[in-house]
Amino acid sequence: MPEIARFEARRRLKGSLYLAIGIAAFALLFTSFFPSVEQIDVDEYTESMPALFQELFNISAMGTIEGFLAVEIYQFVWVLLLPLYVAYLGAGVVAGDADADRLDVLLTLPISRSRLLAEKAASLAPVVLVPNLVVPPVVYAGVLALGESIDPIALLAVHALAVPFLLACGTVGVAVSVLVLDGDLARRGAIAVVFALYLLDSLSVVADRDWIGAVSPMRYYDPTEIMVDGEYNLVGVGALCLIAAVALAVAVVRFQRVDAP
Amino acid sequence: MAAIRTEGLTKRYGSRRRFPLPWREQPKGEDGPVVGIEDVSLTVEKGEIFGYLGPNGAGKTTTIRTLLGVISPSAGDAEVLGADVTDPAALRGAKARIGFLPSVMGFPEDVTGRRYLDHQARILGDERREELLELFDPPLDREIGEYSTGNRRMLGIVRAFMHDPDLVILDEPTAGLDPLKQSHFNAFVREEAASGTTVFFSSHVLGEVRQVCDRVGILRGGRLATVEPVDELLDRGGKRVRVRTRGDPGAVGVGLEGVVERTVHDREVQFTYGGEYQRLLDHLAGIEAIEDLEIAEPPLEDVFLHFYGEETETEHATTLPDTEVDA
Repeated sequence: MPEIARFEARRRLKGSLYLAIGIAAFALLFTSFFPSVEQIDVDEYTESMPALFQELFNISAMGTIEGFLAVEIYQFVWVLLLPLYVAYLGAGVVAGDADADRLDVLLTLPISRSRLLAEKAASLAPVVLVPNLVVPPVVYAGVLALGESIDPIALLAVHALAVPFLLACGTVGVAVSVLVLDGDLARRGAIAVVFALYLLDSLSVVADRDWIGAVSPMRYYDPTEIMVDGEYNLVGVGALCLIAAVALAVAVVRFQRVDAP
Repeated sequence: MAAIRTEGLTKRYGSRRRFPLPWREQPKGEDGPVVGIEDVSLTVEKGEIFGYLGPNGAGKTTTIRTLLGVISPSAGDAEVLGADVTDPAALRGAKARIGFLPSVMGFPEDVTGRRYLDHQARILGDERREELLELFDPPLDREIGEYSTGNRRMLGIVRAFMHDPDLVILDEPTAGLDPLKQSHFNAFVREEAASGTTVFFSSHVLGEVRQVCDRVGILRGGRLATVEPVDELLDRGGKRVRVRTRGDPGAVGVGLEGVVERTVHDREVQFTYGGEYQRLLDHLAGIEAIEDLEIAEPPLEDVFLHFYGEETETEHATTLPDTEVDA
């Protein structure tokens, strides 16, 4: 068992659990709003919005519980907030250690630099996995409690496909961390980069230029598509893994020969 | 085989790019403006305690980080336990046999000392942990974030020695330790060396190095000024003497051989003394009405100023690049 990944991941476990509980509470709160939304004439509401908004946020689907959850919870928490947070943590892996005078000790362990970095990146696992394990049963129970029903497979899929998505965003953070090697700068930079990637995907919709958002992880993870249309984009999973692999490769190449700050 | 051997080891810091791009080589700093260390050549033999002495900013930590592959040299060669420091695979093998204590050591703050040692032990080994914890006893069941400076240092010492390394590299190891622990530590280091461990010990305190080390390399402004047995250095280092009298202090230090840099201020005389103790005491016995007397180790800077001098110091650096003086 890779010791550094194990040790660092265990340190993240408690925080990840609190995060998951917070998100679950947030999700329950929003789920409980659904009966009042249901009474609105969603079609009329949708038509009153600009066409661009309809396309960007998929508002027309809000009349169903799947669409409502996708737009109100998943598009916001899973496509924007969690990726920003995971990238923020990813940016702290090496640069944060350098800031806290821990990097020299890590580099003098009999472990190669690439392995050290890979283990550090792997230690993001709890933040990626725990919310995706804790939240779906809570949401499912919440939906049942409202007397509604939801396809459990679609719910599981939206969380399962979130794993490669968040992993890609986390490794982008790790890459920023190694490139900058300054904890504060890396964390801010990673948030900026991931937010820019989010905007890039939106921009490709706005500008109607598909290629613009092609490098954005957000392109390959669409909760509404999964929950409402039941479309599981497995090519997207490949693209997300590719983004993660490229980001990690850039980080490893750089980290192998850089002078520790 | 020497435990550490460097030849012309140089580290200059180039103008680092704020946003270094991965596909562009970081300037190695061949012509960099900031010198970390310059042309350092030394050999540390197995089982030796080598003191690496220099004022703050002299390049001690830069040398150590280069030896451990944390930063790469701009020029020159270095071998640690036979491994070339620029060969990561070879150095990795050596690192398993090295104990390292950095001058400033960060820990994961949210875990207990015990968990941290358990974690490090799974990578390094810990066959000597219990024995070390009898000498150095940080509160293992508390979170490291609550530790005092001294407790952090002790935890670092235990970590550095617990896998019974062949070579220990200690960067200002006793900073933050109370005097009792310091002397425990010094005695411990001597025992370790007696049983064959090589110790590379950096410090900016002459008094500390004299108690522990066999040979001393003196670093100043990134250059190795000299390497010599510790006794010879101390003979040359002299003593800082301060005398306050009730009356006129005019006679203090006058006519005594070995007195340099004598200054008088009010009723107080200060000088550096390079002669024998007995002659100094005889001289002082002849002075009337001494109110206060202090004989101390000179600050390291003074050792340079008085016994190498600004000019001769640079000369030393150029004429003694291969100061592999065998003790």
